[in-house]
Formats: sequence, structure tokens, C-alpha cells
Amino acid sequence: MTGKDVASQPRPSTGVSATAPDEAALQTAIEKIEKTSGARAIAVALHDFETGFELHYNADRWFHAASTIKVPILLGVFAAIDRGDLLPHSRVHVRNRFLSVVEDIPFRVESGRDANSAVHNSIGKMMRVDELAYHMITTSSNLATNLLLGVIGPQSVNDTLKALHLEEGIDLKRGVEDELAFDKAINNVVTADGLLRILVMLAAGKAFSPALSRRMMDILHGQEFNQGIPARLPKGARVAHKTGEISTVAHDAGVVYLPKRKPYALVILTEWDPTTSGRSRTIAAISHTIYEALTRGPVDE
Amino acid sequence: MSAAPTFANGINHSPTFPLRVVDGLTLPPEYRKALRPGEEWKDATGFPRQLPRYFYEIPSWDSAMKIELASHFLLWEFIQVDVREAAPLRTFPRYVPCAVTLLAVCLERFREAVGTLVHISANGGYRSPSHRFSKNATPHAWGTAANIYRIGDTYLDNRSAIERFSLIARETLPGVWTRPYGAPTGYAEDHLHLDLGYVISVPRDVKI
Repeated sequence: MTGKDVASQPRPSTGVSATAPDEAALQTAIEKIEKTSGARAIAVALHDFETGFELHYNADRWFHAASTIKVPILLGVFAAIDRGDLLPHSRVHVRNRFLSVVEDIPFRVESGRDANSAVHNSIGKMMRVDELAYHMITTSSNLATNLLLGVIGPQSVNDTLKALHLEEGIDLKRGVEDELAFDKAINNVVTADGLLRILVMLAAGKAFSPALSRRMMDILHGQEFNQGIPARLPKGARVAHKTGEISTVAHDAGVVYLPKRKPYALVILTEWDPTTSGRSRTIAAISHTIYEALTRGPVDE
Repeated sequence: MSAAPTFANGINHSPTFPLRVVDGLTLPPEYRKALRPGEEWKDATGFPRQLPRYFYEIPSWDSAMKIELASHFLLWEFIQVDVREAAPLRTFPRYVPCAVTLLAVCLERFREAVGTLVHISANGGYRSPSHRFSKNATPHAWGTAANIYRIGDTYLDNRSAIERFSLIARETLPGVWTRPYGAPTGYAEDHLHLDLGYVISVPRDVKI
């Protein structure tokens, strides 16, 4: 199944009396949050597996991907596993030396800018592909990301996206922490719709195989940064997601699992002036608004 | 080519060294393709070098973990490779050029000089000519080079550390070559590379 297939699949019949929310009211509610947030731009993409309801708010606008690009990279890693090029327990040399896409100039991932110390502590040794994938997502390890991308190559990720018809809305150009590339505006960029299509495919178990999709979702479920989409959801909610933040953007993209209903996939991308605060609060507010709309009917204006 | 070599019962008779010596030319095709035994391979300057033909056969990781090449160096430390190594060479039995024993002795001498643990990095000992890092003939494919990323508690990821230990290596090991500090190709900035050159070892077991 391809991304296009997923997008066009019949809306699920759940047997549960589920009412799709009022789209216009939801758009208005998000607009209201956007206006009061101080954000430069906000985009939201939503697919509800329970009702088939979709929302696309500014969802084709391109944003710097920040660490949300690690979701397509995860897909690329599992494509290599699916092809048999890699095994989950294949070993990768942990080396902190990478080449910029700008003139192949070497650079390192500063340990102080990487939330994960486990990978940095393994420099000189080897780690398993599945360990690196886990650290790349759950603690957003930039070192793990560049190591995995070094093994499979950016072109392989782009080829995978294309083969799955997921390339629209995802533009992977390089690894992370490539400051020379950043200075020259050579960045990975995404749209909310682009990330949504990947998440829908993963949640539907259609990326390579149900088993591999489940393994990727398990990794996303291990996310340790939960100030965005999950922050204002009820305790029973489980969210498989990936955050991304640099000086000018803050994102969260994931699949929300609630008791007694099918999940929904949600992508919230935001862009900010570097000095503006309230990013996580804004993402959490949008997530909460969508949760309310999906579980309690039309948004009360 | 000369007559096919013979081996004393096909095994190394050293009472303390248990590994069998094999002629790479007799290995199955997938190994010959990856190891390229006895083939010519050009170095970075275009000068042709002849790859090793004779290898120690390592039956298992367990044996690699137990076999001492020197007092403080076990065989496994010289054969850590990652997914970039050719697939047949990542499973056992594994093969390592016989000259690796010479490297181990040199590293033991180096260890004595620095007075602490010397850590060889992954992909930093023997790697075959088919390894994705192997663009030109490198002594790593002769089993005579080591990339050292840590000595004791000191990470060799800066000029000061690399140049300090490089000097010790050159003073301690006559004829050893160390890669100068720096980022361009041919330099090293996150490890100390030292090698003995393109040394080929033909054990006495081999009767050509």
C-alpha cells in the first residue's frame, strides 16, 4: 500500500457512533490560538481513524523540519531492514565526525546540544541499528541520527519516500547539526500534510509490513519529550510522536491513542521569532482543542 | 603462480597459538571476492601494493575474546567492524591477515610506553579491501594499522592529545607511521592512526 492509497482508503466503519467535528469551528478555534500565541505561522494536519475526519490547516506550508525529519529517516532505516540491507542488530561504529553537504567540510555533533549521552558515551565503540533508531527518536539524539543517515544515505531515504508515494511534503537534504548548510539555507523542510501521510501509513500498519510498522510505532511511543501534543491530554492517552525544535520552529507530530476509539494522527508545526516563548504551550493548546473536538463533538465557540 | 602451498596438517602447530592458517586463494568465492588475497591494490598515490594472501581463521567470537595476541591485547580488539564491512566477513569464521600479530606486539610496546589502556576503535583494526571505508590500499587491509580513539581516560579527538601520543608512538616504535592531525583526507582529527606499512606475514606453516 502506498501513501496515496492510505489517503484514499475508505473511511473506517467502526460500529461506534462517532460524529465528525465541525470543521469550520475547529479551524476558527485554531486561528484564535494562532492569533494569541505570537507565532509567525502555524500549520495543523489531522486524520482521525475513527471518523475519517481530516483537517488541513495551512498544511501545505513548508517549515524547517528540525527533528521531525527523524521520522522519515526512521522510515528509511526500516526500509533498509525490510530490504535485508540492515538487520535491527547490525552494528554501527559510533564516530562523531560527519561531512557537511557544503564542500564536504567535517563537523561534529556537540555533545552539549544533544540530549542523549548514551550515544556520545559509545564513541569509538559500536551500537546496534535498533538502539540508534531508538535514541534518534526517543531522546532525539542528533549523533544517532547522523550515524544512521551515514549508513543508509539521504538518497536512500528519499528513494524510500518516493517508493511509498510519501515524497510530497518531505524534503530531506542532509543530516542534522550541519551548521554550514544551515548558514547557506540548505535545510530539511516538511509540510504538516507530508508528515501526516507518513504517520497515517505507520499507524495503519502499511509501511513495509504490519510487524515493521509496529516496531516503528513502538519506538515513537518511547518519546521522552512530552510537552507538546500529549501535555494536555487525559492520562489514559498514549501518544507515539516526534518533536522538533530549533530557534525558530517548534513542532510535534504523532498518533494519539485513546481508550475505546480508534487513534488519530496529528501534526502541529509552528514557526516563531527566536525570542518568543510559549511554544510548547501553544502546541499543547491546539492538541487539546483537537482532542476536545474529536471526543466531544463540535467545538464550542 | 608458484605451486600450491601446503600446510603442516593444515594447522598452526604453535603450542600457544591456536588459530589455523589458511591460504586465501583456497577460500570460497564470496570470501575471495571480499578479501582479494594476493591481489594488487593501489594506494592513494597510485602505487601498487600486494594484498595479504595468508590469514588466520577465527572460528568464533568466543575464541576471538579469548585469544591473546599480546599481554594486553586480545584478538577481538583487532576485528571489530560494523555494517560497512562486506557481509561474509561479518560472520564467523572470520579471517585476519597473519601480520596482525606483529601489530599487536607493537601496540603492546606502545602500551608500555604510555602506561595505560590503549583502545582500538570499531573499524579501526583489520578491515578488508571491501570495507566501505577502504577507498585505496590502506594498511588496515594488511592487519597492520590501528585507529586508537582513547588512551586511558584521554579521548584522542583534539590536536594536543593526538600529537602527544603520536610522538610517543614514533619514539617507541621504529618505522611506525602516524597520520598527522587535521581534517583533510590523509589526516586524522578524532583518533590516532598508526601503522607498520604494507607488511605481509607468511607463517612457517606455509610451505610454498
